[in-house]
Amino acid sequence: MLIEIMDVIISGLINGSVYALMAVGLTLIYGVSKAFNFAYGSFYSMGGYIAFLLFGVAYFKNYLVVFCLAAPVLLVFGFFIEKLLVAPLRKRDDWEIKVMMITLGLALFLDNSYQVVFGARMKSLPSILEGAFEVGDFILSYQDVVIFVLSIGGILLFRWFLNNTRTGMSVRAVAQNPAGAQIVGIPKEFVFAATFAISTVMVGMGGILLAQKYFVTPGGGWNILIKAWVITAFGGMGSIKGGLYAAFIVGMLEAFVGWQFGMNWTLIALFAVLLTTLAIRPQGLMGKWG
Amino acid sequence: MLKMTNVTKKFGELTAVNNLSFEVEQGQVFGIAGPNGAGKSTLYNLITGLYPFEGSVTFNNGEIRGLPPHQIAKLGISRTFQIPQTFPSLSVEKSIGVGSHFGSRDGFEHDYVEKILRFVNLIDKRDSSTGQLNLLDKKMLMIGAALATKPRVLMLDEPMAGSNAKEIMKLMNLVQRINREMGITIIIIEHFMKVLTELTEKLLIIETGTEVCCGNPVDVTSDPRVIECYLGGNND
Repeated sequence: MLIEIMDVIISGLINGSVYALMAVGLTLIYGVSKAFNFAYGSFYSMGGYIAFLLFGVAYFKNYLVVFCLAAPVLLVFGFFIEKLLVAPLRKRDDWEIKVMMITLGLALFLDNSYQVVFGARMKSLPSILEGAFEVGDFILSYQDVVIFVLSIGGILLFRWFLNNTRTGMSVRAVAQNPAGAQIVGIPKEFVFAATFAISTVMVGMGGILLAQKYFVTPGGGWNILIKAWVITAFGGMGSIKGGLYAAFIVGMLEAFVGWQFGMNWTLIALFAVLLTTLAIRPQGLMGKWG
Repeated sequence: MLKMTNVTKKFGELTAVNNLSFEVEQGQVFGIAGPNGAGKSTLYNLITGLYPFEGSVTFNNGEIRGLPPHQIAKLGISRTFQIPQTFPSLSVEKSIGVGSHFGSRDGFEHDYVEKILRFVNLIDKRDSSTGQLNLLDKKMLMIGAALATKPRVLMLDEPMAGSNAKEIMKLMNLVQRINREMGITIIIIEHFMKVLTELTEKLLIIETGTEVCCGNPVDVTSDPRVIECYLGGNND
């Protein structure tokens, strides 16, 4: 029993850490541009497929190489998607709705493209590290440890970026006061595109990390999109700290519900918690009114 | 230095600024006044590139119409807002640093940020979060962040609003020091006529986006058209 509970806690922590990495990216976009990105889940799948492609090339059969090559590809892809599809809409009336619609269209386009190019069957990625710690009956795989460490490392790197770099400072300024930021010389349009690109990298990296455990499928990103939105709304729209807490709560909840009631109940439990939270505290855990 | 020629801005059926022309000379303190809804803040929004418009705005003989706000800031035009616009999670020092980092043509200069912190009397609160500041300090901070961009023209939007007599004296003194010690041209929107007559060299009165009169503040404030526009017509 004790071993089972420890397994559940570890599983919750690991999933929570990856969810945190991905939810922070979505929170970032919403916090800065107030736009809903429905293609976020498809960017998750893109990370997995890029890794799958790279592992198909003998020379790249190494996660370090995969991360180093996938990150700039995702960064450039996110930047240009924002510039080509999202930025032109921002000049129009009701642009928030139009951004939702165009990212929804982009998601469908990408997911169908994955199906055409890679087929409908799930793809698997090799484990990042084989083997496990074994203490009596308790087993903890090296893969889970590495996923946890890389996710937390990604979040800390992101935090360092926000607090210590010029672009990070501009992102924070635009998120808090777009008009004031422009007036002191911050190029708002560039910040929007940079934010979109950074969040694409974060969810794509999450896709590579989780694809080792849950495979890559053309429509697999929708589940992630739903979870990321639940976490973002649960934590408080635009609140990065709230998103982090919510990600670990969701990770734990999933693990315990899956253990006690079966995996089919995890999404139901997730929405039950979200609806209850929003009924009692509509701004989410750490969001603000207005 | 800053010249507006036949500027018109319409929001649907509403004409917020109607064929307005005026020129601000280098080193001047130029006042703008008018009743609520006259189009004063809209004028600032047009100059700083927040809205498109018809007509022309030149700065040091170069056309700035159509430039994005951050490029206009880089040219040396900065502004404040009627409601203080700060970055709530950044410290006072970092908020002013943002202006130096992004708005200044010389890039970030630590010593200059220090100088500004002293100039706006926030050196003792440099590590405070801007969300914790009182209204006067928030106004000082907003002016400080604008000064950190090394502006040639600083446009102040009702800086005295909501301030008591003592605070108004402090702010007036600051505006004068910015103009005299830093050599920055000032454009100021204000409702307090006493502030305008004491601070400005030239005063423009607008109503419903149209010029009522423009000239020496003492003459302008005693002009019957201005009295009518502020107090209503003679009911005799």
